[in-house]
Amino acid sequence: MKKYNWLTLWALAMITFFSTGCDSEDVAPMPTINYQKIAGGLTETADIKVEVYSTDKLFTGYNPLHIALFDAASGKQIEQASIKLQPMMHMMDKQHAAPAENPTTDRAVDGLFSGAVVFTMPSGDMGSWTLVVEVEADGRKTKATVPVTVVESATSRLKSFVSKTDGAKYLVAYLQPQQPKVGVNDLEVAVYRVNSMMDFPADSKLTLELNPEMPAMGHGSPNNVNPVHQSVGHYIGKVNFTMTGLWHLHLTLKDGAEEAGKVYFEVNF
Amino acid sequence: MKTPILIGGFALAVLPAWAQLQPIPADSIRTILLQEVAISTKRHNHQQHLQEFYTANKAATTEELLSRMPEVSFIRRGSYGMEPTIRAYSASQVSVTLDGMRIQGACTDKMDPATIYIEPLNLQSIEVQTAGGSAMQGAAIGGSLNMKLAEAELADEPRLSGAVSTGYQSAANAVLGGLRLNYATPTWGLRASGTYRNAQSYRNGNSEKVLYSQYEKANIAINGKYLLQEDLILKADFIADDGWNIGFPALPMDVGTAKARIGSISLVRENEEKRWTRLEARLYANRIAHSMDDSARPDLPVRMDMPGLSRTSGFYVEGTTAPGANQQLSVRADASASYLEASMTMYQEGQAPMFMLTWPNNRQLQSGVAAQYSWQVNTKTQLQLNSRLNVSDFSVTSSEGRDQMAVFGSTGTERQFVIPAATVQLSRMVYKKLKASISGGINGRTPTASELYGFYLFSQFDGYDYVGNPDLKPERSMQGEFTLSWQEPRVRVQATTYASRVENYIVGAHKPELSAMTMGARGVKVYYNAPYALLMGAEASAVYNINGYTQLVSTLKYSYGRDAAGEPLPMIAPLRHVSSLRKYFGDNLWVQGETEIAAAQHRNSESFGEQPTDAFMLWHLRAGYQKETARKVWQLNAGVENIFNVNYREHLDWGQITRPGRNMFVQLSMSF
Ligand SMILES: [Cu+2]
Repeated sequence: MKKYNWLTLWALAMITFFSTGCDSEDVAPMPTINYQKIAGGLTETADIKVEVYSTDKLFTGYNPLHIALFDAASGKQIEQASIKLQPMMHMMDKQHAAPAENPTTDRAVDGLFSGAVVFTMPSGDMGSWTLVVEVEADGRKTKATVPVTVVESATSRLKSFVSKTDGAKYLVAYLQPQQPKVGVNDLEVAVYRVNSMMDFPADSKLTLELNPEMPAMGHGSPNNVNPVHQSVGHYIGKVNFTMTGLWHLHLTLKDGAEEAGKVYFEVNF
Repeated sequence: MKTPILIGGFALAVLPAWAQLQPIPADSIRTILLQEVAISTKRHNHQQHLQEFYTANKAATTEELLSRMPEVSFIRRGSYGMEPTIRAYSASQVSVTLDGMRIQGACTDKMDPATIYIEPLNLQSIEVQTAGGSAMQGAAIGGSLNMKLAEAELADEPRLSGAVSTGYQSAANAVLGGLRLNYATPTWGLRASGTYRNAQSYRNGNSEKVLYSQYEKANIAINGKYLLQEDLILKADFIADDGWNIGFPALPMDVGTAKARIGSISLVRENEEKRWTRLEARLYANRIAHSMDDSARPDLPVRMDMPGLSRTSGFYVEGTTAPGANQQLSVRADASASYLEASMTMYQEGQAPMFMLTWPNNRQLQSGVAAQYSWQVNTKTQLQLNSRLNVSDFSVTSSEGRDQMAVFGSTGTERQFVIPAATVQLSRMVYKKLKASISGGINGRTPTASELYGFYLFSQFDGYDYVGNPDLKPERSMQGEFTLSWQEPRVRVQATTYASRVENYIVGAHKPELSAMTMGARGVKVYYNAPYALLMGAEASAVYNINGYTQLVSTLKYSYGRDAAGEPLPMIAPLRHVSSLRKYFGDNLWVQGETEIAAAQHRNSESFGEQPTDAFMLWHLRAGYQKETARKVWQLNAGVENIFNVNYREHLDWGQITRPGRNMFVQLSMSF
């Protein structure tokens, strides 16, 4: 850093009355994840205790869920297990499931098996949600059914459209950015095809076009990167915000060259 | 390039070292003296005639004084806070300093050039330098404008003196009040002055009120001087300048408040006996806070606030010596650090405020070493060398700022610029009293913070949002100047022509793929380095003392600019002429008639959407009366500007806004 030496010297030599802390690098705070337990119960075989954690209340949309397993008798944590998540909505006349992502490894990380569920509606008079956690550990195969409460998210984090190309209904869930900032942000959405009330496979064949807009002023932002499919229905791209405020992220979903549908998400910060 | 001292050594290396001093004036320097050092009744020297020409309207602002200099033009967006330019060069190509101190404007819309923080009452002189002489002040390609502050005086006997003045101008219903106090003792002196101005929206030549052209401001300046030793003086300066409610009719926003705090401490040693006859060291700091809003404007879809802040501190050291008979050498080293930040917050009913950094927090370190060497080779020939090496370092200092810059794909925001400048000027008496000067040299300028880091800065001039480009190269210029002057006691005529080729000319390029941020904007332009631009022009001035009591002062100027594609550059003033004839009736009364003519400008820039401007001719009449009593001097100045109420605009006025119509002014002052 030889070339800065003299500049630095001058900067020091001068009485910079006013320049307190101007050059200090801003340090990003370490994310401290604060999980809260949102549900728990025993498996049908009553030998494993299942606890469900999340960072916040469950809401309509994509919710990362973290499962902790304990041996009911010893209270010891189970670190090795295969887990499947099955959300189920119980309504007056019918019941339906919702898209879910099972933990990808059998090994707990910090004692937790992480997956996700895309809740498609809030709990309430219409019906209530349960989460079925299927566990296969130490040769034991069983499941726990725990009730969960889902609230409507303040800004919609789940959109759907009926494809103009294949007539099927698709769900689009918003994942990122969770902490939007002015600048370049990672954008992540997940797309699922509704095959039936019980079958929601992750989609990977649609292509997505991103177009952010600030509706109050009618302008967009430059140099965005269209989300591209990575795995299990997740599409990752970049969204640029040039100022704070309310933005609409318009997504055009294409099936081949044809437009299948359009959705938008609100981002307000 | 290891240390600045080495660079300084390089600048000095070309010089031999003898002794003996003789100050040598240069042709490329033009000074307006504003304060008479002592009350003088010698009315008939040239400098004073010019001074009277410049200060013909005693209620004038510093901007109005400057605009009477043939080299200076103003880009006008409102009746106050105009951007000074020299010749055909743009404001960013010109170095504007206050008594050698650097001040960075805090406004992204350039509403606050350093010229607004000074009142004629606390100005000693204004110095405009061209042809490389500006190298002492800074890295610029269009010359420099330096405003020297008035200083406290010392006196053999303790003495209090001062002046009170008040003025009125009718077009804007403007009032002016001024007070100056000097206290002088043998070892110390104090000078304090204050000015208050309040102008309403003015009436144009159609007698229509030009909305949002009002302003109000107060300025306080204090200067102290203390004699440490026979030849050593300690000086301190402080200026506080506050403006409120400054309207900008050509812009969509006005200034709510503009506050400047400017301070410095300096040491000066002047001793003809010493090897260095003059040495000065100065430490300075200033802070400018500027806030724009559109609260006065009706029916806007989005309201916005745009505050800006600029802080600069720096120092310079300069010295003058005589390396040999008939030679003079001045050297200077200066450095400064500036911090800029500006933001915009937009409000719309029922929504979260929209906030962005229009200037991501950034800092600029700049430093330079300069030398000016003059040599009176013989009675007929004079040589002057000017050189400067300027190094600056820019960077965005906050992570928010860097995040924002990343939107345009820029990864690094830190930039260094090294700008060398050197000019040679040769003057020779070629025939009787006809002197010819020729000069040539190279210089350059760094991009501005807006050009590097600006974020959607809307320009009302061409209707585009401007985005900075951190990869800009500095502008470099090659230029030449030729002056002929004829000087004798009764007549002084001077004509100058100049030309420069500016490489890497910085200008905005329309990017159709980017969407404008500002509602109603035509698109986005990103700064880039155009291959080159040609700037040239000429000016002439004449002072003719017809007889001891009648004098004629005339100035003429023409500028020309085109880009590499041959298109005219925007904001180039047309041919312009001012003539004033002053007649004294006895020693106490004078009357001055004046005419101001500007040709039409049809060389307008299509790509900037610039409109042609019509020709105009104005007539002014001014008069002054002075009465001296035993202890007091009373002065009354009055006149009518734009007598025939012509509705006109200058080519550099934005937004088709016309200038004030008939303006009657009166100013009364009493000094003791
Ligand atoms: Cu401003």
